[in-house]
Amino acid sequence: MDVPSCVQQQQQTEEVWTALLQDSPQQQGNLSALMSTFSNQGFLNPAYHDSETLELDKRSPSRSRHTNPYAGGGSRVQPDVYPTESSLDPGRGPWGGLPRQSWDGGHGIPMDLLSTHPGNPAWRPDHNHSSFQITTEAHYQQSLSIQMTSLPSGNMTIRWRGHTMRRMFQNTDPNLQLAENAIMAQVENEEIHLVRELVDMSTRDRIRAIRDLPLSFQEKKHIRSQVLSFMSSKKSRHFTCLGDCSEHVSRSFRRCGSNVRSARQTLELWQGTMKEIGGKFGTSVLSYFVFLKWLLMFNIFSFLVNFGFITIPQLVLDHSPNTNISFRGLEILTGAGYFNYTVMYYGSYSNHTLFGAVNYEMQLGYFLTIAVYMVLCGIALIFSMASSFKSNYVLADSSSGAWQLLCSWDFSITERAVRQRKNNLRIQLKESLSEKAQREQLTSSEKLQHFGIHLGSWLLSTSLTVGCGASIYFLCSYEHQRMSDSSSWSLLQEAETLLVPFVVSLMNMVVPLFFSLFSKFEHYSTQRRQIYALVLRNVLFRMCILGVLCYYWMNEVAIKYSCWESVVGQALYRLVLVDFIFLLLGSFFGEFLSNVVGTRLIPRLGVPEFDVARNVLEIIYAQTLAWIGIYFSPLLPAIQILKFFILFYIKKVSLMQNCQPPRRTGRAAQMKTIFTALLFFPFFLGALAIVGYTTWSLRPSEHCGPFRGLNSTFSVVEEWIDDLRQIPGSSWVVFIYQKIIRSEVFYFLISIIILIIVYIFWQVSQGRKQLIVHLRQQIVNEGKDKSFLLEKLQNLQKSQPNQRPKQNNNRKSKTRPHAEDLSSSGSSNSNAMVQVLLARQRAEEEEERLRTRGLPDPPPHQHLYDTSDMPQSSSSALALAMQARQRAESQTRGEYYSRAGFTENHVNYRHAAEEDVNSPTSVNSVMMQVMQARQQAEEEEEELKRMKRLPAAPQNPAPSSALIQAMLARQQAQNEYDDGY
Amino acid sequence: MGNKQTTFTDEQLEAFQDCTFFTRKEILRLHGRYRELAPHLVPLDFTNSPDIRIPLALIVTMPELKENPFRDRIVETFSEDGDGNQSFNDFVDMFSVLCEASPRDLKTIYAFKIYDYNRDSFICKEDLQQAVVKLTKGELSAEEVTLVCEKVMEEADLDGDAKLSFSDFENMISKAPDFLRSALV
Repeated sequence: MDVPSCVQQQQQTEEVWTALLQDSPQQQGNLSALMSTFSNQGFLNPAYHDSETLELDKRSPSRSRHTNPYAGGGSRVQPDVYPTESSLDPGRGPWGGLPRQSWDGGHGIPMDLLSTHPGNPAWRPDHNHSSFQITTEAHYQQSLSIQMTSLPSGNMTIRWRGHTMRRMFQNTDPNLQLAENAIMAQVENEEIHLVRELVDMSTRDRIRAIRDLPLSFQEKKHIRSQVLSFMSSKKSRHFTCLGDCSEHVSRSFRRCGSNVRSARQTLELWQGTMKEIGGKFGTSVLSYFVFLKWLLMFNIFSFLVNFGFITIPQLVLDHSPNTNISFRGLEILTGAGYFNYTVMYYGSYSNHTLFGAVNYEMQLGYFLTIAVYMVLCGIALIFSMASSFKSNYVLADSSSGAWQLLCSWDFSITERAVRQRKNNLRIQLKESLSEKAQREQLTSSEKLQHFGIHLGSWLLSTSLTVGCGASIYFLCSYEHQRMSDSSSWSLLQEAETLLVPFVVSLMNMVVPLFFSLFSKFEHYSTQRRQIYALVLRNVLFRMCILGVLCYYWMNEVAIKYSCWESVVGQALYRLVLVDFIFLLLGSFFGEFLSNVVGTRLIPRLGVPEFDVARNVLEIIYAQTLAWIGIYFSPLLPAIQILKFFILFYIKKVSLMQNCQPPRRTGRAAQMKTIFTALLFFPFFLGALAIVGYTTWSLRPSEHCGPFRGLNSTFSVVEEWIDDLRQIPGSSWVVFIYQKIIRSEVFYFLISIIILIIVYIFWQVSQGRKQLIVHLRQQIVNEGKDKSFLLEKLQNLQKSQPNQRPKQNNNRKSKTRPHAEDLSSSGSSNSNAMVQVLLARQRAEEEEERLRTRGLPDPPPHQHLYDTSDMPQSSSSALALAMQARQRAESQTRGEYYSRAGFTENHVNYRHAAEEDVNSPTSVNSVMMQVMQARQQAEEEEEELKRMKRLPAAPQNPAPSSALIQAMLARQQAQNEYDDGY
Repeated sequence: MGNKQTTFTDEQLEAFQDCTFFTRKEILRLHGRYRELAPHLVPLDFTNSPDIRIPLALIVTMPELKENPFRDRIVETFSEDGDGNQSFNDFVDMFSVLCEASPRDLKTIYAFKIYDYNRDSFICKEDLQQAVVKLTKGELSAEEVTLVCEKVMEEADLDGDAKLSFSDFENMISKAPDFLRSALV
């Protein structure tokens, strides 16, 4: 062995030591890092990384997994081979031997050591190498067959992830570089596994799986190239030409696909703008714009449907609109006059049948288009609501505040918002801290006061809502009296029609401001509740207004006007348009003006925030208008598209120019869920009910529209069914209609079945909730158990060392001469690791003795202190010896060199070690190593018993826990050691 | 097209495409960004994959990272040497994980690493304290920071070992649906 390598090793030793000699938690951390480095797939296993103590449990499976070529040979082979190896391989750190053993199940020589030291192959017996190869190969085959039966991808990702986690952490810790070699072989194994799994997948799956690997690009590339080469070799072996062709084709397809993908990305609407908004204002503001875009898409779809199935047939049928009324300009606002005779409204559609290749009945077309559109809307809403509910709401734990810290950071913000965001987070954290304290201090009088304020504000807001509804109703009746049912209105009359929408929109703008004023006086315990209350009031208000309007339309307008559907359509058109104008005004006054006021006049107010909730409610309201109007004015979605499109840009500009990011942000994902739920529950269902009522029970106007002359719109279907009766092949449609759609029994049964299913699912979910509670409790209990056991272990350890000083006096006096030479540089840092080292040395002496079998005196050149204290051979000490051999030997060697004056470091260590024995302190790490040694100790003990060198130690036959066993082993070792004296 | 040919070979681009969440164009754009950071260091021609590393100090000047409180940690985590010197591969890797398309699980793994300041594969109190200080500009008093950390521990640490393991972290993340929204490109 050459000197430099020894020096190097000592330096490495020192590195590890200095790292471990730091303060206690740090040490624990380091150790656990070490452990996790060797964890195989344990990283994702929650049971595993709970603690070091569970290492024992991990060991047994790992033994069965990694077939050791020496397992058959038993431990007898060990002593012969091991010293050879260690003497030839001094470069290994002190830790090289220890965890590795724990991972290979405590059997002799780990195979990875053999494989990862190609530098000194001289000592490596050939048969070892070959057996290693064979075993691993067999291992691959076996696991491959398992993977064939199981789900490959899930299996793989979990295992691979664990593996890579370990790898990543290992790379980051310099202390663990030493151990890297030890696990190299294992890494290679897993890599080959992975490659095989990937080869078996389809191309698309493979790419996805590779992408999902938590590896660096370099490693991914490596794996990919391996997979590809493997595949190409496989292919060329079997069918060259075909394989080449298919490879080529699939590659070109993939290129094409990726091109399409990038093209789609560039085409996507407002992508850059969205990024910009998200970057500057955070996710919650972004969610407004995403919602707006989503609604816009909805409207584009509905426009296409309506235009395609209603308007185009009408235009084909009758493309000469009644144009005796000139366009006056005001129509753009009122929607009356000229527009009345275009395809804009219900009234101008005919009830004829378009004869062509296929007969197209306008009546049926109109009805079915609207019906199908509504149903599709409903389904889309339900699905998007349910999915976002599932992912965002059910999983979310409302009571938790921990997310605030680690998860609330909006990684997308990049600019000025950041400083504010930090501020906000600080405030939020402070509040959440104070909240807990505050909650308990509320006296009953304060509670009463809060309750009173809440009650008052609710009463006030409700009365405001009712008052607004009533005033709208009276305004409508007033207008109703003034208006005449004539086709031509004067300009003034036409302008008067704008009064109602104007008032409605004004109310929509002003009243929410009052509501938000209320919330200033109320003291809700949480921000969330305040927002919910505000949203609820606003929703009630808008619902009330819409309800009043609809009541008016259904009851008064439907009787008075000859073509009442068109009149309602006009009214809705006006509402939509005026609402749009008010939205623009609102963003001007609400945001621009308050910005000016906030920055110039009253700086105290500051720059206004973008109120996401209010803005979202506004667009939800707008969308509801469009839904109600779809029956009366099929082309209303076109207006809506324009409206939303412009609104997007206006809001964006206003946001960028005037606003600051919201001070308090809710959780964006939950907000989106709430928006969708709101859109669905009161608003869409309300619109659906109104349209349904209109088609089902209101009498369509006599002289205009597609349904003229019918009792109700729905009777179109009845007529159609009657027609179908004459066609022989379609009796099943008639049957379905009569027995299912028109039969009460069917609906009765369906609703009962649905109720039962809902009840069952509800019960299941209740059961799951209970299960979750139980499981959580279990986790907590496990944690408690673990800490309890650890504590016990420590106590035991503390109670042990009382006997020690006596033993060590002897040794100390003997070793003193060497130590004294260098005592000035002796470090007095007390650490358990030193103890372990000593224990190992002691153990090693024993082992030496065992090897020489019966020789009373070990070879004196081996150790300086061999003659000093020769403990009785003990099983556990032997176990320690197995771990420590390498280290101890190199240390001894180091000692020789130190005497020759080569280096002082290791002697320092030794010195420190001797000193520390006097003041033994017990630290977990000792226990852990002992635990790792336990299994080996047991095997050794068997052998010892056979040799009758000492009476069989009392062995716990069936230990309940591995931990306790370890404790016993440790104690045993100690006792036997003491008995030697 | 000419530009594409000189920067990367088709093979390289395909490898990038298969291993990251980026398209061809985005890879080229990323290369542009990478080159912007140190024009004298990074050549236009990457066909022979030169071994070039840009130090942390330059990377954190990118607008995407400039304001991020964890920028140093992010860059460190994704650099191969752990000190923040990133090769182009590391650079692509970082943005691939941070981009929208990458799955949540992947992000969770890396987020855990980012929060794990002392790299002991646990988020312990010290890690949390550092995170809090970074997130709040260091304006909370020491006691408040400790309080916050204690609260977080209390809520997130299921097994009671006073540090957050990966499963604890994962569990917590699963309750926070809008975690790690993406940045960039």
